[in-house]
Amino acid sequence: MASEPVGLAQDLTEQRVMRAQVGDQDLAIWRSESSKLQAWSNRCPHRGMRLSHGFVRGESLACAYHGWHYNCEAACHYIPAHPELTPPETIKVQTFGVLEKHGVLWVNVEDTPKPTPLPDNCFPLRSITIHVALNTAIETSQSAPLSLGADSSFKLSDENADASILTLTDDTNHRQVLMLFQQSGDVTVTCHILMDGDFTTDELIKVSRWSESVRRLAESSTS
Amino acid sequence: MTGIEYAKDDWYPVAMVGEVPNGSEKETQLLGTRITIIADERNGIQVSERGYKLKTQVAFDHIWTTLSDNPRTLFAIPEASEVERRFVPCGVVRVKCSPLIAVENFLDIAHFPFVHTVPAPMTAVLYKTCPPKPEFQDVIAIFVQPIDEETCDVWPWMALYDDESTMAELIQFQQLIFLQDRSILENQLPRKLPLDPGMELPTRADLTSIAYRRWLRKRGASYGATHSAS
Repeated sequence: MASEPVGLAQDLTEQRVMRAQVGDQDLAIWRSESSKLQAWSNRCPHRGMRLSHGFVRGESLACAYHGWHYNCEAACHYIPAHPELTPPETIKVQTFGVLEKHGVLWVNVEDTPKPTPLPDNCFPLRSITIHVALNTAIETSQSAPLSLGADSSFKLSDENADASILTLTDDTNHRQVLMLFQQSGDVTVTCHILMDGDFTTDELIKVSRWSESVRRLAESSTS
Repeated sequence: MTGIEYAKDDWYPVAMVGEVPNGSEKETQLLGTRITIIADERNGIQVSERGYKLKTQVAFDHIWTTLSDNPRTLFAIPEASEVERRFVPCGVVRVKCSPLIAVENFLDIAHFPFVHTVPAPMTAVLYKTCPPKPEFQDVIAIFVQPIDEETCDVWPWMALYDDESTMAELIQFQQLIFLQDRSILENQLPRKLPLDPGMELPTRADLTSIAYRRWLRKRGASYGATHSAS
């Protein structure tokens, strides 16, 4: 399984936790107070509670159910019901490789993540969640024209080696919009939109609105 | 092996007394099977499964039924016959979790390791101190109706010494407690209760849970349970 773009770094600031899904693997992705990034199985070993419902406490993630604390080595180090107890070393959460590149959070549930090569200076705009199958999301995006004015129209580039990335190019102004698709459920796709080149704030807002229209179009095509 | 054989010989709550008025019906589900509760003046309450008449009885302010023709005896709660108590059926909360996970979670709030509070796999009866009468204990129970292995209706019931609170206040309080627990219950993975001994974590806080899981395992009461963590 390839490395998957599960979220944007800007949406996971310090002391936050989010849920992601890669294939069948439910994940809790979180960032400690000192900005250490973690991708764990979304399951507290105690009673199976989803850790993405928990709270980041300094350098630990605390489960929402009984408050067990797990440190950045994924080991349980504190059980509130027994504050004096040193928890057995066997109580650990399963961990996965995660790293941040181009403002995107990349996870590989089988290996070290290797982010897909992207333009050096590209930067994230936003993510959108679309409740359709992956191919529907991609096909709808391919057929939705993006224009930011009379002298700025974007054409679909067919140079991508990776089928889950679309690149829309505005040759006149030497800039691009990249769409990274990640299947995050049976009929749920997360699309991360990255920008490469110079865009005004108004243009960024237009691209954001355009992505929402892609979502509406994709979801209405299947309902 | 889904544990259905063991589960179908138990009794389960399917409605509160008075919930189904004479001349009306209520459709519900038990252990994956559709059932109908019919109330009429002449026959009283009847429960049937596609026309087949099921055994029924009234106990603890609820209507109980079973899919078996030879069920185990319904457990007793001695405090239910103490006439000075107030009996409070609290309605129903639908939870998308295994009926066994609902019971285990409820046992957690007891904080003491006595599993004699579990008279049947899908029932838990807890005792708490009773401020107006220190010599007595209040009873707080949940009766769980297994809709299927991953869905249940929880019927909380209390037998209290409390002359002051209104019925609405008592029910409101109990409903609030259960709604707070709902997101905990619905976000546990796997969705069925793991009975694999390797899944047990031997801390003292979990003695109740461990005893409950062993008790289920010994009986083969594995409806709503799984033997792996995935």
